[in-house]
Amino acid sequence: MTEATTGRPLTAVSPPSIEATDLSWTYAGRSRPAIEGLTFRLEAGRVLLVLGPSGSGKSTLARALAGLVPHVVPGRWQGGLRVGGLEVAETPARLLGERIGLVFQDPDSQLVMSRVDDEVAFGLENRAWPRPEMVSGVREALAQAGLSGFEQRSTVTLSGGEKQRLAIADVLAARPGLLVLDEPTANLDPPGMYAVFERLAILARRREHTIVLIEHRLEAALPLADEVLLLDDEGHQLAFAPAGAVGREAVELLERSGAWVPRAWRGAQPAASGAVEPAVERAASGGRAIEAGALLLEAADVRVEYPADESGKRVALDGVSVSVRAGERVALVGPNGAGKSSLLFAMAGLLRPADGTVRLRALPRDGEAAEPMRDPSRLSARELAARIGLVFQDPELGFVAGTARDEVSASARAIGGRDGTSARAPDEQGTDGVLASFGLGHLATEIPFRLSQGEQRRLSLAALALRPPAVLLLDEPTFGLDRRGTEAVLALLDERRTAGQAQVLATHDPRLLPACDRVVALDRGRVVFDGSPDAFLAAPPYAPASPWRDGVALGRPAGSDPAAIPRRGAR
Amino acid sequence: MSVLPAPLAPTRPAFLTRTTPAARLVAGTAWLVAAIVTLDPIVPARLFLAAIVALWLWSGLPLRRIPARLAPLGFAILSLTVFSILLSSANGDRSLATMAQIGPARITGPAISAGLAIGLRVVVIALTTLLVFGPSDPTRMADSLVQQWHVPDRFAYGTLAALRVAPFMAGDWATIGAARRLRGLAPRGPVARVREAGGRLLVMLVSAIRRAERLALAMDARGFDSGVRRTHFRELRTNWRDWLTIVLSFAVAAAALFVAR
Repeated sequence: MTEATTGRPLTAVSPPSIEATDLSWTYAGRSRPAIEGLTFRLEAGRVLLVLGPSGSGKSTLARALAGLVPHVVPGRWQGGLRVGGLEVAETPARLLGERIGLVFQDPDSQLVMSRVDDEVAFGLENRAWPRPEMVSGVREALAQAGLSGFEQRSTVTLSGGEKQRLAIADVLAARPGLLVLDEPTANLDPPGMYAVFERLAILARRREHTIVLIEHRLEAALPLADEVLLLDDEGHQLAFAPAGAVGREAVELLERSGAWVPRAWRGAQPAASGAVEPAVERAASGGRAIEAGALLLEAADVRVEYPADESGKRVALDGVSVSVRAGERVALVGPNGAGKSSLLFAMAGLLRPADGTVRLRALPRDGEAAEPMRDPSRLSARELAARIGLVFQDPELGFVAGTARDEVSASARAIGGRDGTSARAPDEQGTDGVLASFGLGHLATEIPFRLSQGEQRRLSLAALALRPPAVLLLDEPTFGLDRRGTEAVLALLDERRTAGQAQVLATHDPRLLPACDRVVALDRGRVVFDGSPDAFLAAPPYAPASPWRDGVALGRPAGSDPAAIPRRGAR
Repeated sequence: MSVLPAPLAPTRPAFLTRTTPAARLVAGTAWLVAAIVTLDPIVPARLFLAAIVALWLWSGLPLRRIPARLAPLGFAILSLTVFSILLSSANGDRSLATMAQIGPARITGPAISAGLAIGLRVVVIALTTLLVFGPSDPTRMADSLVQQWHVPDRFAYGTLAALRVAPFMAGDWATIGAARRLRGLAPRGPVARVREAGGRLLVMLVSAIRRAERLALAMDARGFDSGVRRTHFRELRTNWRDWLTIVLSFAVAAAALFVAR
């Protein structure tokens, strides 16, 4: 607590250069480094996009730049990282914090205060700004994030995109020279993502910050980048190069590591594209017409309400009708708050609709008459589990057992035989076979909570494999997954669909739509579209439509053509 | 998918919304002490009337919504009152007149009086809490405690952050329950139910700890608790309204206790 620091960083810190020299970091308790041997130099005021698959240490690099590694998180540091001439490992975290703003992925676990202006002021209070400067600082930061007029709003009433822009305002307020964003749009619907990128494009153009961006939404992110850093799945550096001049070999290595690769790069790499054609496209190119399988699930005129404030009920779903047939994969899309989760819960009988009906049935077996359609909320847990399954966005919330092996056998043990009559426990061999087929064979005795994000997702699917339900509901099934993870999930889903399973995917990711047979779009609790993915992508029923289209057409978002962004020299 | 109702917040500026939370805490304490130290129903009844007047005229809170918010407490208060009356030892005193006879239960005047006193006391505690915390959001309470009473930042704002995370835990709990039902796990019998609840709690705690870790990291990244003496965006100073509130609430508490009945 020295006097010298009080109220110091009132003038904007000039953007720093970043210089990594053979930088490695190993988290305490791990044997393998998270990042290893990174060596690059980013000039002041430039925008760096970091690309790599899951487990490539992208977040670790972000934490190192902010000084959280090594000052807050324990582990072993090797090599050098200089930010604006300061050696990170030797500079007090507080000093680094004044120069660096870090934005995280999850909006709900980085906002501290309940009111927007308090939230922005929080970081300034921590840095002992005098009050008059705080008042003007909060105002300017909110304007930069496109949130002027939001001062008095409660943070819980903001949309996901607004929350992330608030998180950006939070760090901008302290006038950092370096802005580090760790997948800031991963949780957002396309319009929210779009609004965040719009703001980032303006910041990038001003050249008042050095920006390090970690993103899976490459088509929107790439046009902003001056340089790219490519990492492989073991945290090694594949390449550091100008965004427009990445070597063909590096792109191939990146693809092979399982990362998402910008389409612009792949287009120029015919050799690579044949080797690793994304399953997304493979599934789409299969050209499945909708085969009229047996009707498995039918929601008719469903209305769902939640208790709200004095204004009465909040309507989550209003007269929604959707039917799903055997062997059909339906994408459920819509902005945050459109009612996707409510519809999934109503379909699974976890929410009793205020009005309307939900009916479902088991997949008819060969030569047998289909069972009558039944109300899921009246089925016993065992009957329900045999007919419908739900994979949550956060797989951890769905785990029921202490080891991966028990997790896979839990449902089967609970349900018993296929129709819920004979209680036969599955043998260990069958369980391990399932684990192996999901690439989890070596993790049979591991605690589910200790698995990586991708492994957890696969385990949550594996848990439904021994007694596959007739209808599978998935909430953001590819959230946070790299290309390899997404392909693995889709391949597993393809197999089940061929066996007649009906699948409903709630998703924000337009990349998944071509892999679906049908798109159902919700907006404010109503169905606004029900038809083919092609028809949806040609004319999304939302205004503005471009975020939905551009994300998948993989053209550039309007206005962010790299040539159209004035570079520093142009100003 | 928020299932929690919106918190009760002032809909207009009022006298108490301009007082500091620390002052309201002092003022409210006087009423709580007065309500607890007596055994008869007269004192809580007087405080109850005073609380209603204060909520109505000076809190800025929408009076219509208060009963709905207290409804979950209503059942507890009602059963507490009824059982206090039924089970009162005064009912066994043959020298007292019978006021009512419900089957084998004989009810006396002092039993009714003692039961009402207990029920009213809980109502007064609830309404006083509303008067203390209702007129401003929890952030102001933390600001006030830090600035006026010099409560450590780490404690005040740490608690505040924890409060913000609490609603997510409620959501997680519901989701975990749903996930288990869909996996066919339907515990039968009390032992299975307890084990099931234990498993559910474990998952919720893991999730809460993960969330807390992320929030703590985000707070660290923004310079929280880095050894610098924080400044305050919203400065709170004890003002004349605070003093008036404290003096009046002590006067009301004294009057409720000591004015002849």
